[in-house]
Amino acid sequence: MIAIVDYGASNLHSVRHALETVGAEVMLARTPEDILAAERIVLPGVGAFAQCVTSLRASGLMQALHEAVFDRGRPLLGICLGLQVMARDSEEGGLHAGFGWIPGSVRLISSALAGMKGPHVGWNEVLLSRSSELFKGLRADPTFYFVHSYHFVPDAAEILAATTEYGGPITAAIQRDNLFATQFHPEKSQQNGLRLLENFLAWKP
Amino acid sequence: MTELRRCSRCMIPETHETIMFDEQGVCNICRQQEFKREAIDWNARERQLRTLIDSYRGRYSHDCIVPFSGGKDSTFTLYHLIKEYKVKPLVVQFDHGFLRPQTLENNVRTLKQLGVDFLSFRPNWNVVKKLMLESLRRKGDFCWHCHTGIFAYPMQIAVKQNIPLLIWGEPSAEYTSYYGYDEQEEVDERRFNRFVNLGISADDMQGMIEGIEPRDLDPFRYPPVKDLRRVGVRSICLGSYLPWDVKSQVALIERELGWTGDDVEGVPRDYRYEKIECFMQGVRDYIKFLKRGYGRTAHLTSIDIRNGRLDRERALRLVDEHDGRRPPSLDLFLKYVGLTEDEFLEIAREHVVSPWSASAEPKGAGQPLHDMPQWDPTVSFVSIESLRAAATSR
Amino acid sequence: MLKIRIIPKLLLQRSRNVKGVRFEQMRDTGHPVTNARIYDAQGADELIFLDIDASVEGRSTLCDIVSKAASEVFMPFCVGGGVRTVDDFHRLLQAGADKVAVNSAAIEYPSLLSEAAKLFGVQCVVASVDFRWEEGGPRVYTHGGQVATGISVLDHVRRCVEAGAGEILLTSIDRDGTMTGYDVDVTRRVSSAVSVPVIASGGAGTLQHMVDVVREASASAVAVGSLFHFTDQSPIKARAFMRVAGIDVRREAA
Repeated sequence: MIAIVDYGASNLHSVRHALETVGAEVMLARTPEDILAAERIVLPGVGAFAQCVTSLRASGLMQALHEAVFDRGRPLLGICLGLQVMARDSEEGGLHAGFGWIPGSVRLISSALAGMKGPHVGWNEVLLSRSSELFKGLRADPTFYFVHSYHFVPDAAEILAATTEYGGPITAAIQRDNLFATQFHPEKSQQNGLRLLENFLAWKP
Repeated sequence: MTELRRCSRCMIPETHETIMFDEQGVCNICRQQEFKREAIDWNARERQLRTLIDSYRGRYSHDCIVPFSGGKDSTFTLYHLIKEYKVKPLVVQFDHGFLRPQTLENNVRTLKQLGVDFLSFRPNWNVVKKLMLESLRRKGDFCWHCHTGIFAYPMQIAVKQNIPLLIWGEPSAEYTSYYGYDEQEEVDERRFNRFVNLGISADDMQGMIEGIEPRDLDPFRYPPVKDLRRVGVRSICLGSYLPWDVKSQVALIERELGWTGDDVEGVPRDYRYEKIECFMQGVRDYIKFLKRGYGRTAHLTSIDIRNGRLDRERALRLVDEHDGRRPPSLDLFLKYVGLTEDEFLEIAREHVVSPWSASAEPKGAGQPLHDMPQWDPTVSFVSIESLRAAATSR
Repeated sequence: MLKIRIIPKLLLQRSRNVKGVRFEQMRDTGHPVTNARIYDAQGADELIFLDIDASVEGRSTLCDIVSKAASEVFMPFCVGGGVRTVDDFHRLLQAGADKVAVNSAAIEYPSLLSEAAKLFGVQCVVASVDFRWEEGGPRVYTHGGQVATGISVLDHVRRCVEAGAGEILLTSIDRDGTMTGYDVDVTRRVSSAVSVPVIASGGAGTLQHMVDVVREASASAVAVGSLFHFTDQSPIKARAFMRVAGIDVRREAA
């Protein structure tokens, strides 16, 4: 059983359908108990950082996620904002604290400085920082769909699983122990995305 | 006349679908052939196929479905599966309505010799005519009913009869690059949607033509994913498991099954094995020429070049001589769909793929085929009367 | 590098896809969900769904269609048609849209773009701008090309981006459905006037047109209607053509 954290994120249904398509049995987790009952967990997310963190904190879901991930070793997949909320803080709409699970901050993409169009919207090649079970079966530089204005800037590179280029390096995925999260949207990345979700279902960190 | 850029090795021009040329000017299809020859462990593939077939053997009414037109590829596929893998297949034919006499004769012989169960389905001609006209208008390709029926109907049988394994013949990497030899080509709905159905599903077609019910389109409808999943359908190409080689395969079925080739419009007589099964083939290739500036001879000579059987010089001469001639079968086609030749040419013009241009000079008429008098001219009950009237007045 | 996107544009009318010429003479082009499945298999990079009924009933049908498509096809959707409120945004995003396109309301309710950007992020706010040439230059039209606003395209797109639009869908009504090529000139001007990506739309008639508008007008994406509906071109064929022409498009088929 895989739980998708249901706190009103708008990509919830796309994520659910994509997971079901690759054979997952999906439950929508609305309470801390739901989260703790699941074998693996997906944290989707689209929207504003502060609002998302506040809502996950107030509902006790964040605390349950913490227990599931750090005490019980459950694999967690964060997607887009679901990656960013794990950071120490974000500068989106003023400085706000995140979960503080991964060392680094969420900052505005400085594409404008590099003369690029912003936000970062579309398909981009992902460069794997190391070999990872989650990218198994994909070509060395697979493309994924990104749609974001802010990105996670890690304190140290060792947490990176993959990066992409957009007027400078952008975090595409992070991985540490049983924690994996992507800035791109696997649920919107056609066959590559489905493959990654399938890999997540089989992942034994 | 527009000079099309062609692959520096084969005859395929820049107007071919999914064509890409590399720095040496070599097309991606030629490159795939190198991959096919050099990088694939065909012995390992053969073992994979054996294991796959064994896992289905004896568990259903038939070990597999073999979709079958009676042309060279499906005849070889059927022969090979029975000879080498001893399968009990259900042979399923979607009859597009234009099977030629020699093919019908071949089919009877082949199916008897191989001792197989055979199922054939021919869709309603009145529906087919409408579909031909609509898909010609929309896509410059009148074969929608055949493309979709051939690939959807056997899948429907797989679901209805609970036979999960389907084995097709030639992989598309032989002639396009929708799939490469580096990926296993599953003959599934994704492939169907990618290039088989011209971007038009049965549900789409429903709203495009008048006077048909949704169920009239059922023969052309891909079965729902959930049904395919319930049966656990696997649908593969034999050509993913053995190196496809048309000429030696043709020689084999001629020798072993008495399979007999036939003349085809628009191609040299050396290629008497290619697409002999459909009497509208000449029209199909003619439209392709009008749209894209090349025809079947370019395709056939390219395969020979890739296999080291023909030099480029001679291929160019053959292409120039045969591609693009007006096929005598066009008259019958125009009767079927109720178009004048000018209307037909106008539709073709709307679909010209740049940089080819429609202003190409006509290349003269091709030779009529020997079996043309035997082709059924029925348009409809009403039109047959008017055809007779037209014949008497002439 | 970020890839140039090939985007089939699907116009919805009474639950079917249609396509016309200069927003008129609509012709059936299929069922929206099977269209989406087909374009997915053909490796389209994204889909645009625009409901041209844009009535209240139309909007709930639109949600249903998007939701059905999103349950079968795993690719990005930009959805619009009659979007007036942040509630409309919310409903469409919930249904599976990744971006929401605002057209007439960007002028009628100027605060909509900024409110939506604040709530959902600029990346999901698309300003859909239809224009025609008039004396004095290209001018914005709203309500499916019916209402002339007299507003200059450049002024309008600048205002939209300031308000919070993260992308511009720029459609030439004069070229729409004519298959005579994009309005490269206006696309270039818009593209250099704003800092956000511009999707060129209206006029694609050959694959070369797609190459031209990317190369000469710096479009980040090309929207295509008639060329895919009424010829046997497809996203996958377009992709091969653009790659040969040196455009950085996605390599994977889908």
